[in-house]
Amino acid sequence: MSTAYKPVGWNRNKLIYDAILLCGVVAYILLYLKLAPLLSSSVRAVDTPILRMRAFGSLAFLLLTLVLAIGPLARLDSRFLPLLYNRRHLGVMTAAVAFTHAMFVLDWYFAFSATPKFTALFTSNTSFGSIAGFPFELFGVFALVILLVLAATSHDFWLSFLSPPVWKAMHMGIYAAYAAAVLHVGLGAAIDGTNPMTALFLSASLAALSVLHLLAGRREMAIDDAASRIDAKTDWVDVGALDAIQEGRAIVGVLPRGERVAVFRFKNRLSALSNLCSHQNGPIGEGKVVMGFATCPWHGYQYRLEDGCAPPPFRERVRKYRVKISGARVLVDPVAVPLGTRIEPVVIDGAPPPASPPLPSRRTSP
Amino acid sequence: MMPRPPDPGFFIGYAKKVPPEIAQCALLVSVFFLLGLVSASLAFSLSAQDPGSGGYVDELKGGRLAGVLETLPYPILRVPAQDGKGPRAIMLSGQGKAGVANAADPLAGQWAEVSGIFVKRGELDMLLVGGRNGLAGVEPPAGAVQPQAPVALGRWRLTGEICDGKCYAGAMRPGTGLAHKACANLCITGGVPPVFVTTSPVEGHNFLLMAGADGGPLPRALLDHTGLLIELEGEIEQRDDIMIFKVETPARPGVAS
Repeated sequence: MSTAYKPVGWNRNKLIYDAILLCGVVAYILLYLKLAPLLSSSVRAVDTPILRMRAFGSLAFLLLTLVLAIGPLARLDSRFLPLLYNRRHLGVMTAAVAFTHAMFVLDWYFAFSATPKFTALFTSNTSFGSIAGFPFELFGVFALVILLVLAATSHDFWLSFLSPPVWKAMHMGIYAAYAAAVLHVGLGAAIDGTNPMTALFLSASLAALSVLHLLAGRREMAIDDAASRIDAKTDWVDVGALDAIQEGRAIVGVLPRGERVAVFRFKNRLSALSNLCSHQNGPIGEGKVVMGFATCPWHGYQYRLEDGCAPPPFRERVRKYRVKISGARVLVDPVAVPLGTRIEPVVIDGAPPPASPPLPSRRTSP
Repeated sequence: MMPRPPDPGFFIGYAKKVPPEIAQCALLVSVFFLLGLVSASLAFSLSAQDPGSGGYVDELKGGRLAGVLETLPYPILRVPAQDGKGPRAIMLSGQGKAGVANAADPLAGQWAEVSGIFVKRGELDMLLVGGRNGLAGVEPPAGAVQPQAPVALGRWRLTGEICDGKCYAGAMRPGTGLAHKACANLCITGGVPPVFVTTSPVEGHNFLLMAGADGGPLPRALLDHTGLLIELEGEIEQRDDIMIFKVETPARPGVAS
């Protein structure tokens, strides 16, 4: 959560995350450029600039695959959520690796000529009419531009400036970048056939990401298809059984217009919030009540249960809904109250009263 | 709805404490990530094909080579037999991705001396003209003989790859294939002599200097086919130890692999 924007808000977990990433990147490049030539005469015979292009290019593609795998993995198993927390750093690192690859290409294949490098990049191969031999470099340029734009706008400042829906829509461009990278690798290195691993990794990446996204999509559709029933008398939405809500957790229902609502149980009281975190639209309902706040599982953004507002000095807010208990069922009014409206949590009949003051008003900044 | 895995605890990125279950999982993922990258790095790098044995050879060691300069389809120095060697036809190229047509054209058909360094791969020799007065006209030596006229070897249909002769010979390794296509086009348009690397030898040669059907430089339309396995048809002529393939457009995709 933020009240001011710093270039990077470091903490211990982010440092560990980035250190592991950096170790992986350095190990990959060192092994490729230093160890492999010692082990193979074929690698030794390849020019060093071309070896560098291959090393950084293949690494960028692997990292991009990993970036795209984190989302569905985290949807399918909450143990992968820590990967999501710092995913933007992985994205920025991927853009940096891809940029390095592009610079090596530009300074070798398109250099040493009377034609300027960038002109040569766009004009030296014009075989647009055929698949084999198509100027696959252009797909690489397209992917790189997207990666650089996303990296440049990855900071929370841009998220706030552009608004979460616009920022999120823009950052979905990562899929266009991946599609372009697949074409870049497929029409270039893979179709060339000089390294069988390229085609193998390309196929494995496509297959793994397709399966993961289909599974995650099926799960999301299943949540929406478990249509929350509308109570005929009140038009409120029956989001589930009271005993299905664990202490400190929530159940997620679907309102008639498709918006998801999360009903939290905390100290035997119920509160209903929008399931969409105002930060990156993360699924608050899959989070937990921590120190009395509904806490988003993605980046730990927190909201008060009674009014959906982040505690001061933070200013994020989510929609709040009225909730009631009917027998053993939990019902939610599908009409949200105005942002920031305070609604007292509903006490569960027969439950022991809370031992401490029910709702906090302040918390420590992350 | 799909069953959810058991609650492993709750991770908050900025919190100092990480639940043990999450920490264990993160450790496993980290190990998997690092081992995965290490394996991928070695798998990618070690499965690379050998780019061939071409490379730079300083055969002249600062000396100069004299012969008759021919400029079509590309500058060729016809060096007479000497030192027990037969007559040679040596392709000439410039520094970087440039040929030497500008310097060679005024000397067409005349005696010239060149200095520079060779790139060689198998029987492919290309002299990269360089040094002071890298290419200069000279008086014919006493008793100089004119090069033999080209020998026509008939019409051929060949399968192979169009490469720029300089990189194929070893200026870049590998100087072949699709990844190198745009670079090769840049070389060829810059005047570097293109060669056709055949899948099977022609009269003992597995590369031929390329020319248009009229004996001039390679038609630009054929640049769409560089870096690809294609089938080409045309007349072949021999000048000393070099074969020249006068190709006709259009090319057809090759059938071999």
